[in-house]
Amino acid sequence: MGFWLELIASGLITGGIYALVAIGLNLQYGLMRIMNISHGEFLMLGAYLTWLAHTFAGVNPLAFLPVVALALFGAGLLVYRLCFRRIARTSPAVELIEARSLLVGFGLMYLVQNAAYLVWGADLRGYSFLAEPVEIMGARFTGNRLAAFGFAVAASLFLIAVLRWTLVGKAVRAMMQSPAGAQLVGIDTAVLHPVVFGAGLALAGVAGGLLSMVYEITPAMGEPYTVTALIVITLGGLGSAAGCLAGGLLLGVVEALGMHFTSPSLKMLLSYAVFIAVLLARPKGLFAR
Amino acid sequence: MRLATALAACAIAGLVLAPAPWLVSDFALSLTLSCLMYVGLAVSWAMFSGATNYLSLATAAFFGIGAYVTAWGHGTLPYAVAVPLGGLAAALFAAAIGAAVLHLRGAYFAVITFGLGELVRHAITYGEKTWARTVGRVISDPPATETVYLVVLALALAAVATAAAVRASRFGLALAGVGSDEERARTLGVNTRLVKTGGFALAAFFAGALGAAVAVRWTYIEPASVFNPFIGFQTVLIAMVGGAHTLAGPIASAVVFSVLTELLRLQFPYAYLIVLGALLILLVLYLPGGLASLLERWKWRQRHA
Repeated sequence: MGFWLELIASGLITGGIYALVAIGLNLQYGLMRIMNISHGEFLMLGAYLTWLAHTFAGVNPLAFLPVVALALFGAGLLVYRLCFRRIARTSPAVELIEARSLLVGFGLMYLVQNAAYLVWGADLRGYSFLAEPVEIMGARFTGNRLAAFGFAVAASLFLIAVLRWTLVGKAVRAMMQSPAGAQLVGIDTAVLHPVVFGAGLALAGVAGGLLSMVYEITPAMGEPYTVTALIVITLGGLGSAAGCLAGGLLLGVVEALGMHFTSPSLKMLLSYAVFIAVLLARPKGLFAR
Repeated sequence: MRLATALAACAIAGLVLAPAPWLVSDFALSLTLSCLMYVGLAVSWAMFSGATNYLSLATAAFFGIGAYVTAWGHGTLPYAVAVPLGGLAAALFAAAIGAAVLHLRGAYFAVITFGLGELVRHAITYGEKTWARTVGRVISDPPATETVYLVVLALALAAVATAAAVRASRFGLALAGVGSDEERARTLGVNTRLVKTGGFALAAFFAGALGAAVAVRWTYIEPASVFNPFIGFQTVLIAMVGGAHTLAGPIASAVVFSVLTELLRLQFPYAYLIVLGALLILLVLYLPGGLASLLERWKWRQRHA
């Protein structure tokens, strides 16, 4: 019993982080058709900010999360203003927005990742925070993993609530359903697009801050998370935050089970296999009606 | 460019470049080799992706498959067999995945081709670890540098000649038709599925053959180096910077980028990639048609002045 609980729960814990990373990317893609392939690089920035604050100023990583979110939100506004606004305005077709934003994303990936290498070097960095094990129903977890899971799920739920029950959320959903219709009823793209893009990066930064408590960090840590986020989005369906949460938790559990019964070196192989299978069989997501 | 002109240019380039191994220094030769490799990769990429607007990120996968055909066959397969076999393996792989994923458009296609490349890389890593109990393979006793150079030169020229021939043919028109309006092309009687899969496989053949040909230059072959996504990105970048819808654009920018890479990458690895990233962003934002579009604009002005 304790064994199964531990296995499933460790899958759910990883899955919670996956969901948080994916929701940010999904919002950007669903709303603006921006496939920001450098999403993971901003997660890495969030992780480094948290590591810096904890190691050099002794700040509690959890208390520092709002600062990370704000900093990345600002970075998002800037990146949107410098790169993606022009693409959205000058591209004649949606397909071109997708293709061009993908290429710009690759450019940002090179830029941010290698800048991080220049500044922080290629060494693994890390710190110890809440590392004592906690026992729940015979299963043992470290405190930092539980905290990361709790915060990730709370942030995801908060976002789902914002999308569902606030006026801003309603505007975002309207814009996803029909961009032209939303503009006709007076929803302002010039405000909403940068804000949502910034919110997406803020979520990535928070996820990075949470991950830095659990794992060691390097400038290359972001890329696998981008891929995982793409898989989760395909599982959950484009533009659906709730689908992302479910898809993320599902992928975490599938990976944990698969890794336990085969071998840990198959992890990436499993994720890609799931991704390609879903894309071929149900390109609109597992939960699409 | 007319087909006859292009073929004549290929022949002349072949005659001029063929004696290089006996004339120039080792460094210049390896620089030329790298230029030729990227010319082949970028031209074959543009032949499919430039014409159809299907953004393929699978070049690294095709290249790696070719390289692994050489690695596995090393010692048993002669070099002259391994190179075309590597190309064929990549083309077969492309045809198989193309049939499955070429109905996806836009970012989905780009992402899934990238994902498939990574899938192959992880599969080979795992397979080698489990069954062969190795991480990489050592190429002992590689063919002479002159042989490798001449083979890569032949492949690059073949890629350019093929791309020129495709542009002049009905097949090339069909590819361009898919790129500008797929529905309309289908209405006009083009079998778009066959055309897309065929074009994708043809482009993959050259990437695979180049991978198989160049692999012997590395004494040690491992998945991380031959499936390096950088090869794929660099190819896309070169073709887009040059202008993916033209023939001469990717050739010119392949030469420029290879020289820059060889000169700068070893000395300033991180700074070089930062500049490359910034350059990619600026180009997509301000010159989406590539450098060739500057020339086109200039010609247009001359004519209408």
